[in-house]
Parts: sequence; C-alpha cells; structure tokens
Amino acid sequence: MIEPIVVVSNIIDGLLMGLLYSLVALGLSLIFGLMDIINFAHGDFVMIGAYLAWILAMNFMVDPSVTALITVPLFFVIGLAVYKAVIEPILGAEPLIQIAVTVGLGFVLQNIALAIFHAEPRSYPAPALNFGINVGPITLTAAKLVAAAVSLASLLLIHYMLTRTKFGLAIRATSANRMVAPLMGINVGKVYAVVFGLGIALTALGAALYMSWGQVNPYLGASFSLLSWVIVAMGGLGGVVGVLASGLIVGVLEALGSTFITPSARMAVVYLAFFLLLWFRPRGLFARR
Amino acid sequence: MGLGTRRNLIVLAIIVAVLAIIPFALGFNQYYILLAATSLIFAVFVIAWNIIGGYAGQLDLAPMAYIGVGGIVTAELLKYYGITPWVGMFIGAGASMALAAAVGYPTFRFGIKEVWYALLTASLVVILNNITHLPQVLGSFDHYLPAKTGWYYLIFYRYQNIYYVILGLFVATVLINLLISNSKTGYYLRAIREDELAAEALGIDVRKYKLKALLTYAGILGFTGYLYIVLQGTYSYQTFNSPTSLSIAIMGIVGGLGSIAGAFTSAMFLKTVEEYLRGTIGATIPGLYLLIYGILLIIVGIFKPEGIAALFNWVKKKVGFENRGM
Amino acid sequence: MRLVSRKAISKTASAAIIVIIIIAIIAGGLAWWQTQQKAPTTTSSASPTSTTKTSTTSSATATTPKISVIKIGLVEPLTGKYAVFGLEAKEAAQLIVNIINNELGGIKSLGGAKIQLVVQDAGETPDDARLAAEKLITQYHPTIIIGAYISRLTAAVAQVTEQNHVILFMDGLVDSLTQHGWKYVFRVAPKASAHGKSAVDFVLDMAKKKGLKIKTAVVLHEDSIFGTYTAEGAVLELRKNGVEVLDDISYPDSITDFSSIINKVKADNPDIIITIPYFHDGVLFAKAVQAANIHPMFIAGAGACGYTDPDSIKAAGKAVLWYTNTYSYNPYRPTKWNQKIVKMFEEKYHKLPTEAAGIMFYTMMTIYEALEKAGQMYPSNPLNADNLRKVLLSLDLTDNNSIAAQLYPTGHIKFAPNGDNLYAGTAVLQVQMINGKEVPVLVWPEPQPGVHPVFPRPDWHGSGSG
Repeated sequence: MIEPIVVVSNIIDGLLMGLLYSLVALGLSLIFGLMDIINFAHGDFVMIGAYLAWILAMNFMVDPSVTALITVPLFFVIGLAVYKAVIEPILGAEPLIQIAVTVGLGFVLQNIALAIFHAEPRSYPAPALNFGINVGPITLTAAKLVAAAVSLASLLLIHYMLTRTKFGLAIRATSANRMVAPLMGINVGKVYAVVFGLGIALTALGAALYMSWGQVNPYLGASFSLLSWVIVAMGGLGGVVGVLASGLIVGVLEALGSTFITPSARMAVVYLAFFLLLWFRPRGLFARR
Repeated sequence: MGLGTRRNLIVLAIIVAVLAIIPFALGFNQYYILLAATSLIFAVFVIAWNIIGGYAGQLDLAPMAYIGVGGIVTAELLKYYGITPWVGMFIGAGASMALAAAVGYPTFRFGIKEVWYALLTASLVVILNNITHLPQVLGSFDHYLPAKTGWYYLIFYRYQNIYYVILGLFVATVLINLLISNSKTGYYLRAIREDELAAEALGIDVRKYKLKALLTYAGILGFTGYLYIVLQGTYSYQTFNSPTSLSIAIMGIVGGLGSIAGAFTSAMFLKTVEEYLRGTIGATIPGLYLLIYGILLIIVGIFKPEGIAALFNWVKKKVGFENRGM
Repeated sequence: MRLVSRKAISKTASAAIIVIIIIAIIAGGLAWWQTQQKAPTTTSSASPTSTTKTSTTSSATATTPKISVIKIGLVEPLTGKYAVFGLEAKEAAQLIVNIINNELGGIKSLGGAKIQLVVQDAGETPDDARLAAEKLITQYHPTIIIGAYISRLTAAVAQVTEQNHVILFMDGLVDSLTQHGWKYVFRVAPKASAHGKSAVDFVLDMAKKKGLKIKTAVVLHEDSIFGTYTAEGAVLELRKNGVEVLDDISYPDSITDFSSIINKVKADNPDIIITIPYFHDGVLFAKAVQAANIHPMFIAGAGACGYTDPDSIKAAGKAVLWYTNTYSYNPYRPTKWNQKIVKMFEEKYHKLPTEAAGIMFYTMMTIYEALEKAGQMYPSNPLNADNLRKVLLSLDLTDNNSIAAQLYPTGHIKFAPNGDNLYAGTAVLQVQMINGKEVPVLVWPEPQPGVHPVFPRPDWHGSGSG
C-alpha cells in the first residue's frame, strides 16, 4: 500500500527536521549539562523567537531565515536577562522547583504572546526559500534544506567551540566539577550566564529557520519543549554528537510513525522509543560514565 | 514528628466538617458546588501525588494517565456492561495500578530518576493520548456517560451528591497519606528522597518502596478517575491532557513536598483562584489569569521553595512561641 | 525518634474514620434530602410557573410582565487555543446587541425590552465550559445561552442548559450535537458534514460545467471531532458520485511539518484534494503543497477554517491562491442587512467578519426575531423556555420577512424538531488575485457580481495523468 518512494522521501524529510530539532535541543543540552537547570520553557523561547522573526520579516520584507542575524544576538541578551532574573535564583534548587518556575515562565511567555499577537497563526507570506527542488523522484523543500544545512553548520561550530577553544574548555571544566572550576580561575557565574544566553540564542536561530516555511501561534512552544527534552535525554550528556544523533533519530521516528501508523499517533512512536531507550540505556545513547 | 497523630486527626475532622457544611453555606448554588467539587477532586489528586512526589521524591508528571485509565475503564464498563461504578471504580483502580506497575517496575529497576523520570512520565501522558486517539480505540470522538441519574450510576442531577462522594474519597486519601507517613514505609520513602544511595546502603529496598508508593498513588487516582469524568461530562483521548497533568504536580510543589495540609491548601487555593480569575477578568483580558498564574509560580519557586507548608510551619512556630510566652 | 506504635494509630485512625464517615453520611443524606425537595422547582432562568399559576407569582406578571432587560448568556472560548473564534464571536454579539437595543429599539413586543449580554469564558476544556455555563445560569439566569463554538465545549454547555431548561443556541457544528435528543438546543448554522458535502458538490458542479471528469480524490483532515465529521460528509458524497477516495488521512492540528503527508499525496496523484484544516495547519499545508510541486486539478477546503480567511491569506500569501473553503456565513451576500452589518463590523473592528462572527450575526438576529414573536404569542410568559421553544419551532424566516434570514447563506431559516435548520447550507469562498492582491471572493452557489470561479487550478498539469 505504501510505496517505497514515500517511505524514502519521508525518512529524508525526517532527517532534515531532525537537524533542526537537534539545533533547538542543543541549547537545552548545554544549559542542563552545565548548570543542571531543568528548563521547561525552552520551547516557548522558540515561539517568541518565531514571532520576532515574523515581525522583522514582515517589516523588511526578507525571508525569515535572514532575520536570525538580528534575533540571535538579541536573544543572547534576552537569555542573559532571563538568567539573571529567573534562573540564577533557582540554581541548585530541587528539580521540582526548577520545573515549577520554568513552567511558570512558559505560561508568562505564552500569554504575553497571546495578548500581543492573539491566537491567529502568523507566517511570512512570501518566503523566498519556499520552493521545491527535485532530486530524482523526490521533491525537497529548499527552505528545509537551508534550515538543515545551517543547523548542521551551527552544531559543528559549537562542537568546535566546546572542544577547541578556551571558553569551551572553561565550560567543560565547570560542568565536570563546579567546585574546582573557580580554583582554576574560571568565573563560574559568567560561564553560566553566557551559556544560558547561548542556549536561548540557538532557539532564536531555530525559530528563524523554521519560519521560512512554518507558522507560529502562542502554543507552538509545547511542540518543541518536550521533544527537545526527549532529544537531550536520549543523547545523554554526550555533547553535540549525542544531541545530533538523537535529534536525527527523533526526526526519522516521527516520519515513520506518520507514514506507517497515522500522523495523529506519530508522537506515540517517538515517546515509546524513548521509553525503551531510557530503560535499557538510562544515561542515554552517548553517556560518558 | 511535628504534630501528634491524634492532633492530625482532629484537624482532619474539623476540615471535613467544614467541607461538609460548604454546600449548605453556598445555598446549594450549583456553580459554587461544582467549583467546590472540582477543587476538592484536585485536592484528592494532589494529596495522592504527595505520596509519590512528596514522600518518595519522584517527579511524576503522569497523574492524568492514571486518572484517565481508571476513569475510562470504569466508564466503559458502565456503558457497555452496565457494571455500576461502585464496582467499576475498583477495576479502574486495578487497571491504573497495572499500568503503573508496567511502567514503574522497569523504570525503577533500571534506576531512572529525577528529570529522566519526569520526562518519562510526561511522555506517558502523550503516548496514551496518541494511542487512544487511534480510530480503533476511542477515535476523535467525545464519549458520553449514560444519560441516567442515580446512585447506581453515580451521576446526579445536582452536584451536591457527587461533592460528598468526593469528600469521602478525600478523607480516605488523607488517611492513607497519614498511615504511610507514620509507617515504616513513610520513613523509608523519606530516606530515599533525601539520599537514595545512602538509603540503599542502609539496606532499604529502594525499588520496592518506590514501586509501592507509585502503586498507591496510581490506585487512588484510578479510583477517582470516574468521578473526574462525571464532573467533566465526557471522556475522550483528550482526557490524557498534559497541561492538567503538569498542573497537578505544580500544585503539589507549591503546597510543599510531603505536606498534606500544604497540598490540600494549594489545590483548593490555586484551583479556586484560577476559576475566579477566569470568571472575572478572563472575558475582558484573555490569558491574563494564566499570566498571573505563571508569575505566581515563579515567585513561589524563587522566594518560597518550601511551598505553602513553610507558611504553616511559620504560623505554628509563632503560635507555639506565644503559648509558651503566656 | 522511634516509630510511633502502629497499634495506637490504627485505633485512633479507625475511630476517626468512623466519625468522619458518619458526618459524611449525615451531610450527604441531608444534601440528598435537599435535592429531593428542590428537584421540582428548578432554578431555571425562565419563570417556571405554568399559565394557571401566573396569578400567584409576583404582582408584575399579571398580564403583561414588566420585562426591561433580557439576559442572553454567551459562553465562548476567550482564552486558550480556541480564543481566536470566541473573541470574534464576542465582538459580533456585542455589535448585534447594540443594533437591537439602539437601532431596532429593543424587543418592541415586550415594551422595548433591552438585551443584556453576559459573557463567560468557556476556556479550553469541557470542565471549564461546564463551570462557565453553571456560573452563567446560577448567577445571571439568562433566558437564552449561545455557545460554545468548539463542539466538545458546546456539548459540555448543553448538558448544563438541558438540565436547567435553558434554551441553548449552538454555534458548534459537529453533527452529533443535535443527535442526543436534547430538547432545548437549536442550531441555525450548517452542521459539519454539510460542510464536507458542500465542498464536494461545489467541485463536482464546477467540473461538470467545465466538462472535466473527476475520478480520484484524497481527503485530508485534522483529527478533531469536527474535522472527522466534515471529512465523513465529504467522503460519503465523493463515493456517492463515483469518485474513488484514494486516501483519507487524518493528522493533529498541532502538526509542525507536513512532509510525510505531502509525500503520500504526491504518490497518490489524485485529481482533487479535499482538505479540512483547523487553522494553523492550513497555512502550513498550503505552503507545503506550493513547495512540493503538486499540481492537482483542484484543491478544495471544507469546514470554514483556514485558507480563505483574512488571517490565513495574510499568513500564507500566494500559497493559498485558488483555494476554496465552505462557510456557514457569506459576508458578500448582497442583501440590505447583511451589507449593512458587515460594514458596521468592519468600521468597528477593522476586519472582515468571518465564520465565528457570521454565525453570531444570524444566531443573535434569530433570537431577536423569536423574542419579538414570543411577545406576541405568549404575552403573559414570553421568556419561559417551553414557550420559546414553541415559538422557535414556529418560525419560518426568509429574506422578505426577516433580518436573520438576510444574513444566512441560503436566506431561509426554519427549525426541525431536533433543533437543526432545515434549510442549512454553506457558501464557498475562493482566494483570487484581484488588482495584485489575494482576496477571498464568493464563488458558489451564486458568484458575487463580477466574479467567476477559477476552476480548474491554472497550474494543473492537465488530464494527462488521470
């Protein structure tokens, strides 16, 4: 009944989406891995980022993906502010408290968006990248290819930053042992703030890329929050590689669920796989013991 | 132990007496009674959650999974086999416990805890939502309870009867909590919450006690599920609702982990405030009450992480101090 | 620090349990007794007294009751993901109430009684909606309630209004709402399956006019109860007309990526696609089709959500060009009152009234006309629910005798005993390029002046594949 070409196309599309998921989840992974902060509002930052990309695209009549040049630095600053106001006070608090506070933050972001933009979906009407590219019998959306490519490049860039730069070393040293890090001359507070800002900035990048073909409404965040967490959990604390691999797995599982069961139950496939994986690899796929 | 057991029970008896008078005090105003019943059933959920979240310290985000399974099983038994909920609720509770065992056994066996446990349970609600959404299960449709009323069906024309049934369950849930709290199991659970490795080193069978807590919690929720559906009027795949699930856990957190009084107060307070705000400003400024709710959560989380329970302790200390002073 | 003796606990505990259970039983029994006492006289909004008892009620109700204010309850989702509909419905209701109270001078047969709108938020879930309805009834005693757009919320509200014998005008479209045997429910708007059927009828009618043959179709629908019913109506109508349905795909409206569905549709290569989106997903789908180089003969929407409404056009731009959708309301209907109200709405809210507002227009006006007639038919007790029900069933509104009918797509409103409009029908709007802008225009059943339906899609490959 289902033609092979459909399955192949869907898997490819799943991989492209998976790269974007990885990009969004990477921010979460960095934050959690470094400072043990459980951020349940991560997806809501994607939502705010998407609105911002939409506003800029509408004003300057450019493809939303281009707006990342403005929204990413802006979100870095917003990330710093949120860190100071909300995250710093709950550093080291019980996980439940962190969840409560970040869920509250998510409520605030959602309802600010609802008040400003109302519930109507917003989307840029004439994205330059929303056209098809035929590769044999398979049609790929240019916007998605661009999003996937930019995501991959960003993931590699951050991987490089973590492994090869001094700042990356500081991050890794702090996450390995935050007691010893200050002794080595690392300003832990500063590292935390910068990484949180970076994590939030990445959501803005993901959101801008996504807006090239997607749409935003105040409840978009819910789609990204739990999914990002699943990716982080599946990847374990394996750094960029772990997030990348589990993002791709999630993307493909989602596509397969859509293809073979029904799009309505596709998330069940992803989360069931997550269950099994966590049972047998409680520390994720790429755990470092 | 702060409070003697007897004093606990006296306090409970007073609270129950007050709750029992509420419908009379409200002049049988149906809106307020429905509101009271809804708040009270959430108090039951939150107090039940306190067993797994408060005593055992496991961040369970799946209350709606157990409520949904228990409630839907009971409702379907009534609908298709004519089995009275008085029997069906036990079967529903059994179904919820079976689910909890199926999820909990491997989860605890493989040592999954903290965020990972929270994520797993959050996913459980989505999985059940998706699976029941399949046309072969419940499909996209809303399912209605039989259009009958009476004690056999536990469906009533007016809300006060269901309110008293929920009150009865509330009492049972509090007593179960007290029994656990003051038993060996309670001590072990608290030890596990404080430091799981240390507890294990002391020879406590960590898995067994966590599973025990999970099963008790799931059983209570499964039993109560049918009453939740009666209050809702319908059930469908959307009964497995993630935000509602999350809000139960949040009420538990705001109340203060391990505190029955805190759990009760926060559920009653937050649910009532939510409804009040929705009723008053919801129509003029959409979403404002959720905004306030969010701000409240942030404030409580940052400034009073011990939750409402800390407030009680403070009052208690004050009162105790003054007593001594006199 | 040692464990408290278990025995002592059980003893006190069991004593307490017994005491508490006794309290609960007594209280429960009292409550039950109270219920029995109260059951016959409900707290219904309308005066429950029968005609024989009229004289015993308050002095004002001797012959012509002094009614100065008639409360109409509005339970609509004003927060949450459905807020977009509820807010528009509320705006429309406020506009019509203004017109009735000021321009039409209130309900003349009731001495110029004014309409007062009482609004409650139906929220996102049935229990929110149920609470909202309970609150409306117990605190304001409205004569009529209108709600709640989303079908599962509407069903929750209906259970409350039915118990309390309050007339409910439903603006939820799911078929089953009028199939529960509820007595006090009415629905002017066309039900979901009628939307699906209309979409197919429109496409088949167009194909026939152009001499084209439609052999295959794919139906896509968001998986809510509304989408499912609408799709059912479409699939039935397609099969009845000998069109093969290659696929009937459902998806959640929260979908963020359409690729897997698009790939399937592409492999199916149908002549036409019937799609029932919710809102957000419509924009996403249209863009995905645009990017995927799919060129069927036609893509028709059904179910009044997405594609042709101003916000979707703003969001999707060229991607939704030539898409159609079925509507329970036709803002371009060239009747005097319709044009007037659309103009007033645009002046007040700076946007075109769409589905939610349109349904509210004719529902409110139907209520207005029913109240006028109730004042004539039952001068002594016009607001009694049973009397109002009889009045509503006796209405036969057409363009010539009613404002409400002028606002309705078919121009005819007459209720069946189950509360549905016997002459329900939808209008089909299409997005066309006019003066370099994408605008929705009415194309079916009768095109608006100066407009021709675009069919088949200009980018259609031609009949080669079929």
